[in-house]
Amino acid sequence: MSVALAQACRHCGLPAAGDFCCTGCEIVHRAIAENGLEHYYALRPEAAPAQATNASYVELDDPAFQKVHVQTSPDGLAHAALYLADLRCTACVWLVEATPRCLDGVRDVRVDLGRSRADVSWDPSTTSLAQIARHLDRIGHPAHPYRGVDRDKQRRKEDRALLIKLGVAGAAVGNLMLLAIALYAGLFNDMSAADAAFFRYASMFVAVPALSFSATPMFRTALGALRAHRLHLDLPLSIGIIAGLVWGTANVLRGVGDIYFDSLAMLVFLLLVARFIMLRHQRRASTAAELLLALTPTRARRVVNGIVEEVAIESIVTGDLVEVRAGETIPVDGVIETGTSAIDAGLLTGESRPVDVEPGKAVHAGTVNMAAPIIVRALAVGEQTRVGSLVQTIESMSSRKADIERLVDKIAARFVPIVTLGSLLTFVAWSIFASPQQGAEHAMALLIVTCPCALALATPLAVTVALGRAARRGILIKGADALERLATPGTMFVDKTGTLTVGRLEVTSWHGDIDARGLAAAVELGSAHPIARAFASCADPTGVATDIREELGRGIRGTVNGRQVVVGSPAWVQQQCRGDINRWIANVTRAAETPIAIAVDGTIVAVAGLADAVRPDAADAVRALGELGWHIEILSGDDARVAEAVGAKLGIAAHDCSGNVSPEGKRAYVELARKDRAVAMVGDGVNDAAAIAAATCGIAVSGATEIAIEAADVVLRNPSITGIATTAAGARATLATIRRSLKFSLAYNICAGALAVAGIIHPLIAALLMPASSLTVLASSLRSRAFRGDR
Amino acid sequence: MFALYIVLPLALLIAGLAVAAFVWTVRSGQLDDIDTPPHRILFDDEGAIKAAMRDRREVR
Repeated sequence: MSVALAQACRHCGLPAAGDFCCTGCEIVHRAIAENGLEHYYALRPEAAPAQATNASYVELDDPAFQKVHVQTSPDGLAHAALYLADLRCTACVWLVEATPRCLDGVRDVRVDLGRSRADVSWDPSTTSLAQIARHLDRIGHPAHPYRGVDRDKQRRKEDRALLIKLGVAGAAVGNLMLLAIALYAGLFNDMSAADAAFFRYASMFVAVPALSFSATPMFRTALGALRAHRLHLDLPLSIGIIAGLVWGTANVLRGVGDIYFDSLAMLVFLLLVARFIMLRHQRRASTAAELLLALTPTRARRVVNGIVEEVAIESIVTGDLVEVRAGETIPVDGVIETGTSAIDAGLLTGESRPVDVEPGKAVHAGTVNMAAPIIVRALAVGEQTRVGSLVQTIESMSSRKADIERLVDKIAARFVPIVTLGSLLTFVAWSIFASPQQGAEHAMALLIVTCPCALALATPLAVTVALGRAARRGILIKGADALERLATPGTMFVDKTGTLTVGRLEVTSWHGDIDARGLAAAVELGSAHPIARAFASCADPTGVATDIREELGRGIRGTVNGRQVVVGSPAWVQQQCRGDINRWIANVTRAAETPIAIAVDGTIVAVAGLADAVRPDAADAVRALGELGWHIEILSGDDARVAEAVGAKLGIAAHDCSGNVSPEGKRAYVELARKDRAVAMVGDGVNDAAAIAAATCGIAVSGATEIAIEAADVVLRNPSITGIATTAAGARATLATIRRSLKFSLAYNICAGALAVAGIIHPLIAALLMPASSLTVLASSLRSRAFRGDR
Repeated sequence: MFALYIVLPLALLIAGLAVAAFVWTVRSGQLDDIDTPPHRILFDDEGAIKAAMRDRREVR
């Protein structure tokens, strides 16, 4: 919370002396305004100017860190991967890649924009990683160690394998189609038997190796599902592909009968394309979520013999003294050695009010030191801290999140037996009334033409369209099934502090002399205590305060314009000043706010009510969710009265607002409710993370802690919770699109199946039906209303 | 139609070479990042920047 007296630039938001920070911004702003396009400023995402953190990054040079994250190549160069914040455009890429020109010893910097990653190589004898990080920080891209290097390698391997299969299938489709056209043309103009056989052999020569190679992902899932005694959509696909390949090969060798190689290749190719696009979208969403994770601090200040040094968090051991400055997160569990301050434990406990602490008091890792620097003696570090143990339970829970039964798999479960039975009946019927030869032909044709290509495309296409649109609106959806999980409404548990509220104390009511606000603001201006910040931001100070004396946990006094001003807890102020304020205090406490008394020249003139203000868009979001059929309940770690007061403002009944709920309690609520309906959990803190992991679908709001982001299926990046309603509505629209596409594709399958049973199917008809049905599904997915609209 | 018996295998061979080239591009990592290179073509090359700076100095 820096005191910025400069104005913000009207175009870019950077601090500026006048209206604009530079001529460039002024020209751009004028161009926008002259064309009547000012709406741009309302539409663009929250102006977030590039920010340097001025951190020292010395922890990057810590040997323990280097061992894990830095590789040295034989030529003596060191290599490391960094996450860079705020990588957006060409200029960012250029600026970062120009680092070798600014810094001696840096050999190469390569940016991967999609992954927000930079691969750096440098000469360790000339420069250090910390120096490079400081440089990148100064140009507006704070650097963080890239933790997912191993996972990235694995992903890259998978991506490459899929891409190669896609390429092979694509080449096979192109060539098989050319061959097939020659054969189809031969139908109408007599082609010699020898020529036709030559083309058929050529088709077989291309199709069999190419398709058996590129369709392996489907075969593998189908086998895996069979082993788990479940039916998966890949099973009918695999049956169709294998039947087509085997039957086709047999017919080529026999020299009679139809071949369906071109349709099969098209099917495999389309399926792989859909898979590839979906994978890329998912990767993008999870990268964005991982970048949010990397932004949490990894350093701490250790005090040894009065000297403060910055070290990696991992090297702090029990018994160390750690300095924590105002605004920083406490890195260890411990007791305060020196210093008095106020601690915001909201992310750990859900408590919205700051707790005043003094030497001897216990503090926990993950809580934020608000007011003044303190020195903490570490009693527990890393996984032994309270946060650490919570994180461990959550990690073990996330890995065994129950699968939901996906819609397409439900259909596949009916599809497989019907088609198998159908082809058996076809075989029997044709064998009786014609010949076994014809029976086999038509039964095989049925298996091949009912191969549910469009059915398999429906979900990936609809989901991809939805994921892409959602990401553009700041909603990161980590997995495709998160949308299916959110589509059926049930109960949505919502955390209060930091989710429904802004997570920061504000002056929400004022009883008595309104002019005293300026005086109170003047006295509180210099203090970092959360209550002081609330007063300082509620009014403009009416002067400069002198003789300021702050008593922690009680209040503050000072002289403004020659008047004695006292601001503090009612009991403390009443001890030294006159005035009957019991009625005001009763009003304030009834609204579940914290009363603070203000006295001027020995008389109490006003009482302010402080509370964690409700987010301006919370009421809209709650109403929109209600309209979608969700039942909203508040689960708060804060006092029950406070939870009910917030509920009342949002139209949530008091019996749906639970207070004093522990992290374990939240999880129990979710697990109990999950037994009979879909449960979503929305939250931001460590205390919500277990519940987020336990819910059918977990949502983390912007500003959420690392572990909550990790546990959630959906992460909101914009500081607005309307995104929850948007996500729920989008999920429902996506599922509607999937259903519509499934109907189309089933209709096609029934047509093709009927023709096959009747014995009038031909490869040419299959080759026309297949792309037609796929195109219908594609069009239907693109027309989807999911995550569209002007909200 | 005898020509077909030579041209068709030849065409398939060329297609096979194209597939092999594609597999090589993927394996050598050229398609790992397809977001950044489109931006990179906008960078002026080093020589051009230096020349521009020299020109400016000469003008002054």
